[in-house]
Amino acid sequence: MAELRKRGLLTMVICSEPFLKLGKTQARVFGVPALPLIVIPHPLGGLSIDDVKARAAAALPEFIKLVKEGAR
Amino acid sequence: MMDMVQLLKAPQAGFEVEDDFEAVNVYCRERGWTDGLPIVPPTQERVERMLAYCNRAWDEPIAALPPRFGAATPLRLAANAVMAGCLPEHFPIVMLALEAMSDERFNLYGIQATTHPCAPLIIVNGPIARELGINSGHSAFGPGAHANATIGRAVRLALVNIGGAIPGLGDMSTYGSPTKYSYCAAENEAASPWEPLHVELGFAKEASTVTVVAAEPPHNINDHESTTAEGLLKTMAGTMATPGVNDIHHPLAAPVVLFCPEHAATVAAGGYSKADVKKYLFENARVPLSKFSDENVNRRLRKRMPEEFAKAGMDAMVPVAKSPEDYTIVVIGGAGKHSAFIPTFGNTRLVTRGLKHEDGRDVLSIQELRRG
Repeated sequence: MAELRKRGLLTMVICSEPFLKLGKTQARVFGVPALPLIVIPHPLGGLSIDDVKARAAAALPEFIKLVKEGAR
Repeated sequence: MMDMVQLLKAPQAGFEVEDDFEAVNVYCRERGWTDGLPIVPPTQERVERMLAYCNRAWDEPIAALPPRFGAATPLRLAANAVMAGCLPEHFPIVMLALEAMSDERFNLYGIQATTHPCAPLIIVNGPIARELGINSGHSAFGPGAHANATIGRAVRLALVNIGGAIPGLGDMSTYGSPTKYSYCAAENEAASPWEPLHVELGFAKEASTVTVVAAEPPHNINDHESTTAEGLLKTMAGTMATPGVNDIHHPLAAPVVLFCPEHAATVAAGGYSKADVKKYLFENARVPLSKFSDENVNRRLRKRMPEEFAKAGMDAMVPVAKSPEDYTIVVIGGAGKHSAFIPTFGNTRLVTRGLKHEDGRDVLSIQELRRG
């Protein structure tokens, strides 16, 4: 993801709350500290399909906002 | 000899704190530079002494340790080895373990950051294991042996302090592991009926090697009754074959089976070579689909291994490892009828490195590496 961002592509990472600090640290380590991180509720494993859809819905507003900003 | 004073002029190469054991420990603890236990203050003099058996440039990185990708130079590693309580003679093994772990096949990045409770198991083979007093017998995994405790601890401290595997930040292990303090032993070659691990891998018998494993803690296999190879191996395969075992869910699994000397003798007396044991375990350490939850069958196994299980009946058997060669057999321990299954991270390979001179010759004694 960091490499894609460095090439100028629109990039973002979706992660669950306990992994936010790790995500921020890794973005810094890989030289893309401004990489957007969209936080969704934990967990990701062991979810019903409805719960997976709810996670996607939770991420959607920020995702759309970032896409629009990136498109400008 | 390199100039320590010059090296310490680099930014953040050193720190100054009151010359007091407790003060140094508070300073390091507050910065997350320990494993929670007291450390030996890494003074300039102690670090320089630690480098007495180092045949590499002190500031030349051996590895970049994820997730921080910190440069593991001998100088930094030596500071961690001092903190762990190592002797200078132990230090070449610490460096070699870090070098082995930096092999891409080991997958250190995944191992450091995963929620899985794996820790690097360091298995030492060859005469230098005996020279350094690395325990391979009773209580090989502790407590008691200074070399085992401190070599394993030095590696772990380096992974935290250089690699950034800070619990909850860079190390996301769900519940951690007691083996994340230290996890190091030698193979009990003298008590093994089979060729030692390093010889099996093509190294000379008089060579010494370090093998690293992304390992769970040992899971005991108790068998006080079996008198035949088949009886013992049946107990072993049965103990390993469980639906929650980590390796069964991963196509790159490389589990280790630790034989105590008495169990190894019984199995070898039945005519089994290491290759025969691996074949038996591959064929028999299997779990029927019916023992897994419906969700694991339909959402994971049928999808991840579609060729074998997409349309398989519920009596189809899922192997713990995906080929006989994926198993590693070692003999460790003293008297008693307790062997162990050591499951692994899953997405990893064991890596073995030989202790060598710069010209490629095997190091036959640790004293050959002493400088000055």
